[in-house]
Order: sequence, then structure tokens, then C-alpha cells
Amino acid sequence: MPKILIPTPLRQFADKKDSVDVAGATVGEALAALTTAHPDLKKNLFTDEGKLRSFVNVYVNDEDIRFLEKDKTAVAGGDTISIVPSIAGGVW
Amino acid sequence: MITVETQPWSVMVDHAQATYPNECCGAMLGAIDGDVKTVRLALPLDNAYEGAQRERYELRPEDLLFAEREARKNGMDLIGIFHSHPDCDAYFSKTDLENSCPWYSFIVLSIQQGKFHHANSWLPNMEQTEAAKEELTHPNA
Repeated sequence: MPKILIPTPLRQFADKKDSVDVAGATVGEALAALTTAHPDLKKNLFTDEGKLRSFVNVYVNDEDIRFLEKDKTAVAGGDTISIVPSIAGGVW
Repeated sequence: MITVETQPWSVMVDHAQATYPNECCGAMLGAIDGDVKTVRLALPLDNAYEGAQRERYELRPEDLLFAEREARKNGMDLIGIFHSHPDCDAYFSKTDLENSCPWYSFIVLSIQQGKFHHANSWLPNMEQTEAAKEELTHPNA
């Protein structure tokens, strides 16, 4: 089973776990399994339309899924999925 | 409420002053106990913005992934992001808000004429439409 690492501020929505093992052959399936098991995570990760929020990046091991096959990126036991925000800013 | 301990605060201020007149950025690691956050380690990170860094910053996601791994390795949590506003006050700008993330505290350091002037901490909402000011304590406060 792939493992999803839960960022600290989201652990309150995942029974305080820092990682969750989930079933799923793709990133999309794994994230769906995560939010099914922990529904309160859903609004943090997805918009009401079901799309990943603009500030959410997903990595499989060291690779950004945007440069792989996005939510269809294959995952297997031993893979680690990380949720990493996009952050930028400026003075104006 | 967020408190920054002396050592990480020095790292943050030194980084902000050293990168002046450009904006700096970095990650804050520490502990969360209820509503109280304590920053114990600051990691300066590259400003990856390709353009005028005097007025913009951008964190590489892979650098945040590194920060997250450092936190886990050290038994800490990634609890916030810091960046500087050169010759501007420590407000949370429209650009800051639109490119933020509601999961973390955002400390902004105002650097005036190359020296630390003041700082504020902000908590953006989920829709990235507004940010609440968070009580901040640090050694220069």
C-alpha cells in the first residue's frame, strides 16, 4: 500500500496521524481513499468542484505528479505520497 | 499565538537583512500545542522568483518538501513560512494572500534601509481572500 504523509496542520483531520497507508493504484485513487477515510481532509485538499486546490502540489517520492501523469500517476507499496503547498508572495 | 525562540529569530532576521534589498523566504519548524505554536528552527530557503526579487518571492515546492522532511527527522513540525518586505511594512499583501496556504502561519519581516524594523504573523483563510493577524512574540518584540 502506498503511504500518504500528512502535513502537520492537517493531522487534526486525520485522527492525528502523521501518515496514512491507503489502497489505490494511482495518486487519484489514493487521495480518494484518504478523503473517504478522513472526510474532513477533503475541503483542505479539494475545491467544491472536486479539483485539487490551487496551492496543493502532490509528490510521489521525489517527483511532482504534474510532471508525471498527474492524478493517474501509478503508485504501489513502498511509494510515499507527499502533499506540499505552493507558496509565493510579494510586497504589492 | 506564535512564539519564535531566540536562535531561529536570529536566523530569520540575518537572512532577511543579508538578502536586502531583495525579499527573502524560509520555513519555520517547531511544535504546536493547541493554539500555541513555538518556532525552534528556521530554515532559510532560496527565493526562486524569476524576476524582480525586490518585490516578489517564490518558494520551490521541493524546498518545502525538504523542510517537511527536516521537521520529521528532527521530531518537529513545519508550522510556518517567513518572508521579508524590503522598505515596506509587514502587512499581508494581495500577492501574499493569493499565493498563500491556509495551513500555516506566515511571518512577514519589515526590513527598512537594510535593518529589521518590525514583524507580523498572518493566518490566511481557505479561500485566500483574507488573512487574520496572529499574536506574535519574538526576542525583538
